Amino acid sequence: MRTAEAVTINISFTVNGAPYTIDIEPYKTVLEVLRDDLQLTGAKQGCEDGNCGACTIIINGKAVKCCSILIGQARDAKILTIEGLEGENGLHPIQQAFIDHFAIQCGFCTPGMIMIAKAVLDENPHASEEDIREAMHGNLCRCTGYVKIIEAVEAARDHILAGR
Amino acid sequence: MRFDYFFEPISVDECAQLLDEYGPDAKLLAGGTDLVVKMRNRLLRPKVLVSLNQLPELARVYKYDDGIKIGAMARLMDLSKSPLLTGPWEVVKRGAGHVSSTQVRNIATIGGNTCNASPSADTIPGLMVLDAVATIRGPKGEREVPLEKFFKGPSQTALERGEFLLGCTIEKFPAGNGTAYKKYAIRGDTDIAIIGVATRLQVDAEGVVTDARFVVGAVAPVPLRIPDVEKLLIGHKLTDELAVSVGKAAADCIKPISDARATADYRKEMVRVWTKHVLKEAYGKAIQQ
Repeated sequence: MRTAEAVTINISFTVNGAPYTIDIEPYKTVLEVLRDDLQLTGAKQGCEDGNCGACTIIINGKAVKCCSILIGQARDAKILTIEGLEGENGLHPIQQAFIDHFAIQCGFCTPGMIMIAKAVLDENPHASEEDIREAMHGNLCRCTGYVKIIEAVEAARDHILAGR
Repeated sequence: MRFDYFFEPISVDECAQLLDEYGPDAKLLAGGTDLVVKMRNRLLRPKVLVSLNQLPELARVYKYDDGIKIGAMARLMDLSKSPLLTGPWEVVKRGAGHVSSTQVRNIATIGGNTCNASPSADTIPGLMVLDAVATIRGPKGEREVPLEKFFKGPSQTALERGEFLLGCTIEKFPAGNGTAYKKYAIRGDTDIAIIGVATRLQVDAEGVVTDARFVVGAVAPVPLRIPDVEKLLIGHKLTDELAVSVGKAAADCIKPISDARATADYRKEMVRVWTKHVLKEAYGKAIQQ
């Protein structure tokens, strides 16, 4: 049994492919560790209530809201954040589509939107507009009215499918 | 939201020992989607957290001869897509699929949704119409409690000091059983249910209802089974007229509160409407199965 009789727990995980082993206070959330300890500020701190989706990242292939996940739950996890999306050939197609389709206004919700969109398209490359809307309804945007965001995700889907 | 100790037991026995030792100072961490938010808002201040995340055996979902067992750590997303939940059991799938967003379902668990004991929990009415039985582990071993008797009030359960939920068991139902759950919320599933209605109808070869369960969420301190509504259904074929009158009766049976999500009158009105819909859906399935 692993216990934390001391102030910290020792935990290993990878973020965007890079391995980390850290001693960390177990009451920190994954979001706090990413932002405050690893200086990865792409995932945003929004409602901190599990509602707005601005903190969405992908853990072990699944989109999660990391404001309400304790770091102890990420033991041995593979974490992907918005910082890990850009490849050698530039922006990820979803990132590029958000720019091309004016799906970004203030930008605060964007990292979360792009991460949930990636999770959706990874799981279902042929996701319909309805599938996309259903999967993304846990992400709030107060600027765009969502139309441009959905258009961008659909365009990215088509782009990715065409490139196969 | 500081706490003093964080434990990650790797066996159910160790977990039981820890809860026995720390009692009410300890809280169990499953998916954390409710617990972590409550801790941040200082609604809960446990001194000790015991994580169930290193106990994969608690996440198992499997069929056995007489039914199906669902481990407390089964994630709601997995349940919402489970190929094992067929026939009347499909209502569990439905309930799990209505909980909040993709991201929350990916990590939230059926055990967490149960032990959080929210009157509006989406998974519970479906489990209750299936007569699900909770398996509880405690200092003196295991015991079973029908889910109907598990809830004592908002955030209050039948769990006693040192006890925790291992999972629940649902038995097989004979042919002629149909179930349905519908959630009503303003902003879709991300929102907490204003009301939720589940039913199970068992019919004979002529389509006469021989057994019924009827459970409403978010209208009382606990998910509420209403036997008086069930009695109105037994012995009859479900006609449109009966569905309408049972909807009215269901609305008359409840005394919901007004809160930020809806007024008491609106809740009653919505129970009237959605009762009609779930009865028709469940009946349609029952006469086919």
